[in-house]
This record gives sequence, structure tokens and C-alpha cells, in this order.
Amino acid sequence: MRPPFPTARHIAILFVVVLSLQVAASRGSVDDAHSFALQSAEPYVKEGYQVREDYWGGDLGVGEKKAVRQQLFKGNDYWFWMGSEVERSKISVHVYDADGKLAEQPDSWQKGHFAAAHLIPKTTGSYFIIVAVETSPEERTHWALVYGFK
Amino acid sequence: MRLFVKPFLLGSCMLVLLSFVAPAAEPPRRIDVGRLSRTVEDVVVPLPNEIFGALNKLDSVNWKEFVRTNKGTNFTERPRIALLLGAVIADGFIAVQAEDAPSVKEIGQRVVALARGIGVGNSIVPHAKAITEAADRRDWGAVRQELDRTQNSVQQAMNEVRDEKLSQLVSLGGWLRGTQVLTSVVDRHFSADGAELLHQPDLLEYFQCKLANMPEFNIPLLGQIQSSLVEVKPLINVNSPISAASVKKIKQITTRLDEGIVTRTQ
Repeated sequence: MRPPFPTARHIAILFVVVLSLQVAASRGSVDDAHSFALQSAEPYVKEGYQVREDYWGGDLGVGEKKAVRQQLFKGNDYWFWMGSEVERSKISVHVYDADGKLAEQPDSWQKGHFAAAHLIPKTTGSYFIIVAVETSPEERTHWALVYGFK
Repeated sequence: MRLFVKPFLLGSCMLVLLSFVAPAAEPPRRIDVGRLSRTVEDVVVPLPNEIFGALNKLDSVNWKEFVRTNKGTNFTERPRIALLLGAVIADGFIAVQAEDAPSVKEIGQRVVALARGIGVGNSIVPHAKAITEAADRRDWGAVRQELDRTQNSVQQAMNEVRDEKLSQLVSLGGWLRGTQVLTSVVDRHFSADGAELLHQPDLLEYFQCKLANMPEFNIPLLGQIQSSLVEVKPLINVNSPISAASVKKIKQITTRLDEGIVTRTQ
């Protein structure tokens, strides 16, 4: 006959399940980071920026940076929006030209797990977009970067 | 576009974000790019309309003359379908520039047929419907967004079944068609700023690397594209302005390749 109350074994299993779900939820994913990056971009869509469907993503440790190269065209106006699902993290994105000179506009911004860089290219060619996780409570922090242009 | 997760949480975050947006912390004014990887990876290939938009700001372009009415050939070889699919999506962006609703709708249907030919048609049907509806409303911004979504969905579906190489051919087909139209426009009314839009050496190198990794696709057209890219590279990878003669040469090369992509002569 089964006991009317949960046994210690049941409680232990329940505890492990709840703990696993919490850990999974806290880990998040690049998809979550992508959602936050898109959220940053949303107000700019109303200003006529077309946000690309394609995006970059991955995970970085605190203090780590990643450079991605992107072909940009003189005459267009670009924003790069970065997001992370780790809400207590601080992330950054900056854009440099092919010579390594900071190329972004002064209205580029950073706020916790959101950051954005604005670029009006002076020349057509490759640019370096440097993404970084500056602080985070997590060992690895997911990030995603989207861009838009008009 | 992927659906947002945790909409309530995100909404709250945006309120905070809009209230307290701060300038970025002072970044270094200069970095040593020589220490960064020279490998071209993680490339997001520009959409044709990213180039067309820049071109439009330089000169008024009669986009109607670049709208393709020929529906193209039906191929059975998957790499050829992928290349053509990319070119047809680029044709969609040209038809949008020309604000030609019937052509946009026809291209939407053509994209579905081609996507079915490589087994990813189901992911495209909703986009084709959205393209038709937006074209009927003459909402060109929405059509552009749906064309981007279409290409993204095709490529994601291909990547999911480990057809990344076909996905890269879709990008290549679109890039070649976009470059052909760009050179045609600039060749007609040459300007140094227009020619500068061809300065895309990293993108060209990216496609060369990808093509070099496709030995299993035994299709003469791919070999021709590879050798043509070798011809184009020195014309655009220059420190001086790209000349009118170079633009004309690239136009000839990309026109030849585009004909190869849409017809069965290759």
C-alpha cells in the first residue's frame, strides 16, 4: 500500500526536477539573446530602418571580445543592436573601419544587457564590429547581434 | 522573424531601456586590426536592396528596365535551383524598386516553385502569401521585409537538413544578380561613388572560399563562377577608385554568369 504523503524519494525527485528547470531557464540561449537584440531594434523600425533577418550570435566569457566583419555601403545609415538574456550582464558593441579606427556615431549607446552602435559609413568596404561581455554573473553569456539599415 | 520569447519581460525591459539609455562607455579610438582574425567567417551577405538603396541615393535609376520578365528554366540539379532561387529573390528586390506589383507577385510564386524543387517549399508558402498581400497594398517596405524573411527561411530550412552549401549558393545567386544590376546602372551613368559600391573584396573572398569547398557539385557553371571571381577580384580589390573600365568588365562577367544561372546553356 502506498503512503498517503510524499516519501522522501518523491520529494527528492521533485526537488531535482525543479532545480533542473531553474538551471535550464537561467541558462537561456542565443535565441533569447536574439529576441532582446530585436527588442532594442524595434523603435528604430518606426524610423524606417529595415532590420535584417540574419544575425550573429554565440557566447562569451567576461572580458572576452569577438570581431565580426561586415560589408557596408557608403550612402546607407546602419545601426547594430546587441542583446543578451543575462539581465545583470553589461555588454558592448563598437564599429571600426578597415584601418582599425573607431567609426561609429556619438549617439551609439550601452545599457546593461543592451547595446547599440550607429554607423554612417564614409567609405564602402569591410568594417569590424567588436562585441564584448564586460560584466556578467554567468561564466558564459549568450549574445546576439542584429543590424538594420536605411 | 523569430517570435519573441517572454514578451512581458521584454516589454518591461524596453521601458527601462528607453528611460535610461546612456551613451556607450568610451571605447578605444583605434584597435590593431592586424591582430584580428583575417579569416572571413560569420558573414551576413548584404541584401541586394542594401546596395540598391545606396545606389538610389546617388542617382535616379529607372528600375523598370531591370525587372526580369523571363521566368527562367526549370532545373533538376539542386545546386542550379539554389543559384536560380537566389537570383529570383534578387529579382524580387528589383521589382520592388520598380514598384511593379504584378512582377512582385509572380516572383513570389516562382520562389515557392523553386523552393519546392529543393524540398523547402513548405517554409516559403506563408511568405509568398504575405508578399502577394503586401504587393496588393503597395506596401513596399513590407514586401522587402518578406523577401528577406523568404531568403532567411529557405536558408534556415536548408541548414536544418545540413544543406548549408545549397544555402550558400542561394546567397551567391542573389549577390551575382545584384552585382550585375549594380554594374549595369553604374556603367550607364558612371560615377566614382557608384563604382565604390563594388568595393567588396571580403565578400568576394567569402564566396571563393565557399565555392572551393563544393567539389561534390560537379556542375560546369560553378567552375565558371569560380574562375570569373578570380577575374573580378583584382578589379575591385584596389586602393585607388574603381575605374569605368573595371565596372564595364565586371558587368560583362556578371551578365554572362547571370545568363548561365537562368538558362540551360551551361
